[in-house]
Amino acid sequence: MRSIEYAFRQGGASLWRSRGSSAFAVLAIALALIVLGALLIVSWNAEQLLARWSSAAEFSVYLRDEATSDQRAAIETAIDQSQLADGREYVSKAEALTRFRREFAELSELTSGFDENPFPASIEVRVRPGAEHDIAEALVKRLVAMPGVADARYDRDWLTRVASVLGTIRAAGLALALLMAIAAAVTVATVVRLGLRTRRDELEIMELVGAPLAFIRGPFVAEGFLQGGIGALLATAALWVGFLTAMAWWGSDLNSLLDGGSVQFLPIRLCFYLILGGMLVGSVGGLVAAREAA
Amino acid sequence: MIETHHLSKVYSRGLYALRDLTLTIEKAEFVFLTGPSGAGKSTLLRMLLLQERPSEGEVFVNGQNLATLNRREIQEYRRGIGFIFQDFKLIPSRTVLENISFVPEVLGVPAAQQRRRAFQVLKWVGLQHRMNAYPHDLSGGEQQRIAIARALVNDPVLVIADEPTGNLDPDLSLEIMNLLREINAGGTTVLVATHDRELIRLVGRRTITLDQGKIVEVA
Repeated sequence: MRSIEYAFRQGGASLWRSRGSSAFAVLAIALALIVLGALLIVSWNAEQLLARWSSAAEFSVYLRDEATSDQRAAIETAIDQSQLADGREYVSKAEALTRFRREFAELSELTSGFDENPFPASIEVRVRPGAEHDIAEALVKRLVAMPGVADARYDRDWLTRVASVLGTIRAAGLALALLMAIAAAVTVATVVRLGLRTRRDELEIMELVGAPLAFIRGPFVAEGFLQGGIGALLATAALWVGFLTAMAWWGSDLNSLLDGGSVQFLPIRLCFYLILGGMLVGSVGGLVAAREAA
Repeated sequence: MIETHHLSKVYSRGLYALRDLTLTIEKAEFVFLTGPSGAGKSTLLRMLLLQERPSEGEVFVNGQNLATLNRREIQEYRRGIGFIFQDFKLIPSRTVLENISFVPEVLGVPAAQQRRRAFQVLKWVGLQHRMNAYPHDLSGGEQQRIAIARALVNDPVLVIADEPTGNLDPDLSLEIMNLLREINAGGTTVLVATHDRELIRLVGRRTITLDQGKIVEVA
């Protein structure tokens, strides 16, 4: 406990003494975390959107024109028994035509020339949130094979593709943030090492009087920790200000991108991890430098 | 207290700093180590402080073979030794009292105890009135007395001084030697490396003379 108190007292004093050069290390950590934080904000909101789309997933079973009411009942029973459906709705051929005319008003004139209604009746099924994708697909395959079914559509591939693109962007961003974190740790190590060299006599005395390693190295690790912590807090503040500014200028556009949702800042938990990450990067830099002390 | 057996230290290109050195220093003894520059005095002291390792031979202090100590044991061993250097090695950014209390502080001694003990030794060297001064405000003699106080703050069983009067005039040198004699009178073993023959004559204690890494005289 005493060594921790000593480490932070000395580390804080050293940080203040070398505040000019420490500012570079703090800035390096802040920049790395701003990149990471911005990436997290984008991917966090994209994930929320994906989750919303996923939970709103539905599939349609198109019926043949000659499908009997018994066949329709059998299809509906199969859907209900699967326990995958959160609800279902029968859309008759007439309703399908009405919907088309309503949703594509500019094309509605085309439909007036039809001798008979070309739209098939269908059963629209809302998939229960959290339902497994594979099980839902298996059900759709089973339904397609049933008498009276013309086709069934359960197009989740685009969701998978979006998730995959998002994953790639996130991985690239994480790699970039990791590189910047390493650069930040090196900067911290360099700055701490500069301070260490001005305290050679002090360190020699500490070694000669038999001071424990925690007392010799601790202040340098604490200095890195503090640099990292300050950098991380600055990064979080900058992200928050940036977020508020972006929302003030482009809030409605951004919200509309989210399909009715609203763009969110990072949850407290992620902010906490971001700050912890900064402290960790700083501590690693401090520890690397401290190994030169004894 | 201190025994060396066939101790040698060879640097690169076959240069011997110490050569086959065998000596014994008894507990509570005051011993001078003298000889010309490059005789090996500082090398021997550095080995006693475990800042250097022997190339050959062994060093025993209080029955402990220094070559066998691990990191933790080295720390423990060093806590029993006080050291004094020619250039004082005081920390310029700390006050006199802080320079002394620094030692118990980094050994984890509670703050009140650190200051109490630091003040005791500061009083003993007669500089309690300069406790809030900084090293650059002090004369060379005062700085060395602070260094002595720092060496004593941990109640060492052995005090090692490397040219402690090298930067001081003859009167101050004798004053410093008197302090070391007083420390020795309390039962602490004192080993002083110096090339000041006149000082050795005035203090009049056992003297080991080294030349080119070998003992050439014990008087």
